[in-house]
Amino acid sequence: MIAQNALSLGSINGIPFFTITLAVLATSFRVLALIFLSIISGWLLAYGAIKSKIFENVFISLIEIFESVPVITFFPVVLIIFVNRIGGELGVELAADFLVFTAVVWNIWMGEYQAFKTVPKEMVEVANNYNYGFLDTMSLVYVPFSIPRIAANLFPSVSDGFFYITVSEVFSVGFTTYATFGIGTEITSLLAESNYYGILATFIIMGIVIVTIVIALRIFSERAVARYTVDTDTPIMRRGKPRIRQTARFSAVTSLNTLGKLARYNRERRPAPDPEEIFSKKPKNSRWNIVAGMVALAILIYILYESALLVLSVSGSEWSYLFSKTPSLLYGLLLDYIRVITITLISLVLALTLGYYFAYRKRAEKIGIPVIQTLSAYPVPAYFPFVFLAIYPFVDSIFGSYTEEALVLFLGFLATFYYVFYGFWMGVKAMPSEYNEIMQNLDMGFFRKMRYVIIPSTFPYLIAGITSTVNSAWGGLEIGEYWPDIAGHKTLQVHQGLMKTIDVATSTGNIALAAWGSFLFAIIVAVYSILFTRKMMDLAKKKYVAEEGIYST
Amino acid sequence: MEVEDLDFRYENGYKVFQNINLRAEKSKFTAIVGPSGVGKSTLLRLLGAFLKPEKGRVLLHGKPVLRPTPLISMVHQSIVTFPWMTAEENVALSVKTKNLPKDEVKRISSKALEMVGLQGFNDLYPKEMSGGMRQRVAVARSLAADPKILLMDEPFAHLDELTAEGLRQDIYNILFNEESPLETVIMVSHNLTEVIELSDTVFILNGNPATIVAKVDIDLPRPRSPRDPEFDRVLDTLYSYLTIKGGKKA
Ligand SMILES: Nc1ncnc2c1ncn2[C@@H]1O[C@H](COP(=O)(O)OP(=O)(O)O)[C@@H](O)[C@H]1O
Ligand SMILES: [Mg+2]
Repeated sequence: MIAQNALSLGSINGIPFFTITLAVLATSFRVLALIFLSIISGWLLAYGAIKSKIFENVFISLIEIFESVPVITFFPVVLIIFVNRIGGELGVELAADFLVFTAVVWNIWMGEYQAFKTVPKEMVEVANNYNYGFLDTMSLVYVPFSIPRIAANLFPSVSDGFFYITVSEVFSVGFTTYATFGIGTEITSLLAESNYYGILATFIIMGIVIVTIVIALRIFSERAVARYTVDTDTPIMRRGKPRIRQTARFSAVTSLNTLGKLARYNRERRPAPDPEEIFSKKPKNSRWNIVAGMVALAILIYILYESALLVLSVSGSEWSYLFSKTPSLLYGLLLDYIRVITITLISLVLALTLGYYFAYRKRAEKIGIPVIQTLSAYPVPAYFPFVFLAIYPFVDSIFGSYTEEALVLFLGFLATFYYVFYGFWMGVKAMPSEYNEIMQNLDMGFFRKMRYVIIPSTFPYLIAGITSTVNSAWGGLEIGEYWPDIAGHKTLQVHQGLMKTIDVATSTGNIALAAWGSFLFAIIVAVYSILFTRKMMDLAKKKYVAEEGIYST
Repeated sequence: MEVEDLDFRYENGYKVFQNINLRAEKSKFTAIVGPSGVGKSTLLRLLGAFLKPEKGRVLLHGKPVLRPTPLISMVHQSIVTFPWMTAEENVALSVKTKNLPKDEVKRISSKALEMVGLQGFNDLYPKEMSGGMRQRVAVARSLAADPKILLMDEPFAHLDELTAEGLRQDIYNILFNEESPLETVIMVSHNLTEVIELSDTVFILNGNPATIVAKVDIDLPRPRSPRDPEFDRVLDTLYSYLTIKGGKKA
């Protein structure tokens, strides 16, 4: 493999700089390429969705379900399927890609769909008027219109991608370890050699690449907003003060103007009711409908077929074993829910406090926000072992026998915090400036401001943030609840939890139990979060839209 | 309330004011007029201490105003309400800062709503109200804070003519009834008719950077009618002050 040959080539003082750089680039490339793939496929699917009602319903329901299930819990099963069906290194590589893809894709697809749904009908009419074909309509109308919204979804997607890629590059099932070249693998092997300078170098190189990506994304968002935002589409900025010295200098990159504009794009999860029913009355669209219906049906049949095969392949005695395990799996799920709620609450409190602090301190904000953004893109699973080593004695002195529990919660927190913070932050930025003046005018204290104005105004954003959070909290637990050899021969593990059960089952090769646990988990979490998220989103949209508090003509 | 030798510049370096001096007397309705973009809203924000002057001072009863206070209450140009609160809760927001018992808060908010003519609409949400009603809620919220000074930034600008006329007729009485502790109202507007209808003193803001170019006292009897020839005379005076001086911005 390249890694081995290159090792001797670019090494300085035992630090394989060349390999490390290559690994960082490989991982980054994977993440970016998969995001790119998501964007391209999303355009096609979104186009399909606005052309066919049937396809739209299937598409949106699937997004909502998959978005709420952290796919990492299925990873062992997915990996086995890929390795068995495709095999070898390609199978492992594709399994890792698949995992990252499922981590980044939903946000992007949803954003594109929403953009397509809200293209002003005048623009569509122009396209129809000139009889544009599919490619022209896409490239001249729909695609440009979706760019700002894609930009808004890129930051979270990149950090999500990095988070999962490092875990999915090296994976053990039973006694077999599967690995594919990248930074996760590289860190693991450096750790095995106790090459700590190598690891330090890895983090520095990774930092440089991540900062570069973050800055590039910021520039891209600025440009996207400046260039592709339709005037009528930015009601918030109507009230914003003009920023005259806004240029592409670095300070502009870190400025928050764009964030406010972008914030708008995250506000609505689902667009308003169909603007154009006429579309479906056009005869040529019935063709789309039939095609889409067939595709949807084919996918459904395939899934049913595969499931049936799977169920049949499990013997009767195995089923009764799985059923007998079910109560304790459900109890583990309950414990995990408590953990997730704890993590979310802690993140929430901290996000509110920190966000509030930044909101009124321009200078702190200018430095703090980019720092948080960069940190959040650093994959937690890559650096957590070192955090673990560093804080273990301290945490141990406080939590005693609950030390590992606390550390797992902390891991979940690191994986999670950013989303709540980001959501809240967007909300604060989108808050009408008049609200700030009224709060000052009435001389309101911290808690009053929070309770009556800031939390309600940011509520829709907070809900959006929490939705992503709950998902990454599960991802964090999946990794943390059972982490063998996290540092030396120390294993990080909680006493009981569904994620731990799944992890242990995976590492002992008990795939049936792991799959059954994942399955139960998926159903409950999906149903729960769809119900919960929907309810909260509806409430947010009905009642807590700060923009509606400003009446002007 | 007084403004002494005030200069102001926005962060981007744009100099809005040079040497502003004005004085709003007790029990007088004071207006500041000027063309759009001259800096009227900016001046009100300086009066309310939402912005800090580059030079000069804003004084209340002879003492400098250094930060926003409920004593100087602002009604915004865009009508601002909180959509998640009912009319009464919106108003109560400014009473709550005083840490009064619950029913006292309720009583004061109800009374403020009554003063602006919204009795019986306590439980409506802003969404269920017209623009005129929402602006009344905003005024009630400001009044419920028991301010000494009320700052109003084009309070009728976003209302249709009929609604604006109704509210204009009410507002003078609302503001200067005996029960209200209000000392002074300072309104900003570019609508000369409404200014003459309401004010005792008018300051004219013009130039770039802007300064006060004239002060006009209006002592026509109330209620005032635009059909009165005296009204027209004042209108001409104001108009001439607004047009003589050059440097007008779009
Ligand atoms: N935050 C700001 N930064 C820079 N310039 C501003 C800002 N706010 C307003 N301005 C400029 O200051 C001038 C005065 O604005 P404003 O007080 O809103 O005018 P008016 O209320 O008289 O219409 C305008 O030219 C406006 O473009
Ligand atoms: Mg103004």
